[in-house]
Amino acid sequence: MIETYHLSKVYSRGVYALRDVTLSIDKGEFLFLTGASGAGKSTLLRLLLCAEQPTEGTLKVGGRVLSDLTPAEVQSHRRSVGFVFQDFRLVPRFTVFQNVAFVMRVLGVDLATQQRKTFQVWKGVGLQHRMNAYPEDLSGGEQQRVAVARALVNDPQIVLADEPTGNLDPDLSLEIMNLFREANSRGTTVLVATHDLWMIRRVGRRVVGLEHGRVVEVS
Amino acid sequence: MRLLRYAFEEAAASLWRGRRSSLLSTATIAIALFVTGAFLIVTSNLERMAEEWSGAAEMSVYLEDGLGGPERSALERDLRTDASVTSVEFISKEMALARFRQTFPDLAQTLGGMQENPLPASLDVRLRSSSGESAPIDALVTRMRTMPGVADVRYDQDWLDRLLRGVRVLRLVGFSLGGALLLAAALTIANVVRLALTARRDELDIMHLVGAPPAYVRGPFVMEGALHGGMGALAALLVLAAVFFSARPHVLTPLASALNLSSVSFLSPLLVVLIVGGGLGVGCLAGWVASRRA
Repeated sequence: MIETYHLSKVYSRGVYALRDVTLSIDKGEFLFLTGASGAGKSTLLRLLLCAEQPTEGTLKVGGRVLSDLTPAEVQSHRRSVGFVFQDFRLVPRFTVFQNVAFVMRVLGVDLATQQRKTFQVWKGVGLQHRMNAYPEDLSGGEQQRVAVARALVNDPQIVLADEPTGNLDPDLSLEIMNLFREANSRGTTVLVATHDLWMIRRVGRRVVGLEHGRVVEVS
Repeated sequence: MRLLRYAFEEAAASLWRGRRSSLLSTATIAIALFVTGAFLIVTSNLERMAEEWSGAAEMSVYLEDGLGGPERSALERDLRTDASVTSVEFISKEMALARFRQTFPDLAQTLGGMQENPLPASLDVRLRSSSGESAPIDALVTRMRTMPGVADVRYDQDWLDRLLRGVRVLRLVGFSLGGALLLAAALTIANVVRLALTARRDELDIMHLVGAPPAYVRGPFVMEGALHGGMGALAALLVLAAVFFSARPHVLTPLASALNLSSVSFLSPLLVVLIVGGGLGVGCLAGWVASRRA
């Protein structure tokens, strides 16, 4: 599903964020990317979102080289990827339900489908009683569940999560991980970047360790 | 259709959220279009006045005393075959005297003392409107002056041409002023739209990440610009109409009557459409430019 060949990303002044990374992630796999801050986890996720271009090497998703995609193909690729950030990134002026439906709305999906799919994913994250609340009215754990719902509403093939539990306590972190596991059990490939080793052990999936942009451990 | 609805809803919500700055940019474009519209009303009425006057333009070809009937007929035939001429009427010396006495009764007595009628016979030539092209009439006047049997030719069209040139200059001034104000309005709209864009940066980032089409990303901003422009144009037209129709019975109609103008008109439907279209166009363009970095 995701393949990298000697992938490198160099920022200005010659700083390597990723260096010669070769990886293969199967379709339907659940994988943790771990490492200290600055190890290159977020950079790999940004490359997978086409938010940045690799400096060297190749990054393939579903057999397609991401750096060869046209702008229209990049949009199409992003529609097959859900994302979750540590800081939730919900739109404050929307209710949390609107935050989720917004993804479908800006993709031109009709209102009936927007509502049906949003309700469907909404039940999955267990926030039926907070549909009309605004993000600021929710706890961190609830906000992250909304962000997960937003990532899943478009039935993505891949979910990318960058430190999704960084602001949450262990119980809430496990709740969020359970949501990812449910999505993964339905066939979605899940890639979680985290430095939370306790949680990695609790969830118990394949782990790729990064250090200074290099792969140092695969387990 | 779904895109238009989305763009309209988002643009209307954005206008409402930033209603103070929206009011400013709408007022700016309204002022620009008001000035342009006012100049258009003035110049279109002046042009019509010049056309009406020009339609009644006449040339007088004064004949030498003693010119024979065949020579006069030849001159008449020559004039009638000219494309600029609509009719030719012969005014004999006697008719000219009678007309003079009728027009200037006070001066008629001075002519009574003369033994001979001093007024020449003439050919009164009615000309086609010269508002578009004055060269053929100028050529006819020059040619007539060289014809044998012609004592003089009077054609006082120069002032009318000057009036038309003045109208054109006035229109140019109007367009220049309106254009400068429209540019200022476009910049104001672009800044207001850019502010709206900055306020929605978080949404835009999400839209990019979920792969929203560019039309969905930029559409609301272009629509917002169009709404600014369209509302400004409508406001300008409403104020123009209010001023025009309230001033017409007491000021404009008497003025028109004094200038021999049959009536004073508001903007034609075409100009109204052009002003609304101009407002929408300027607004769209400003929104489009402002949303380049959306």
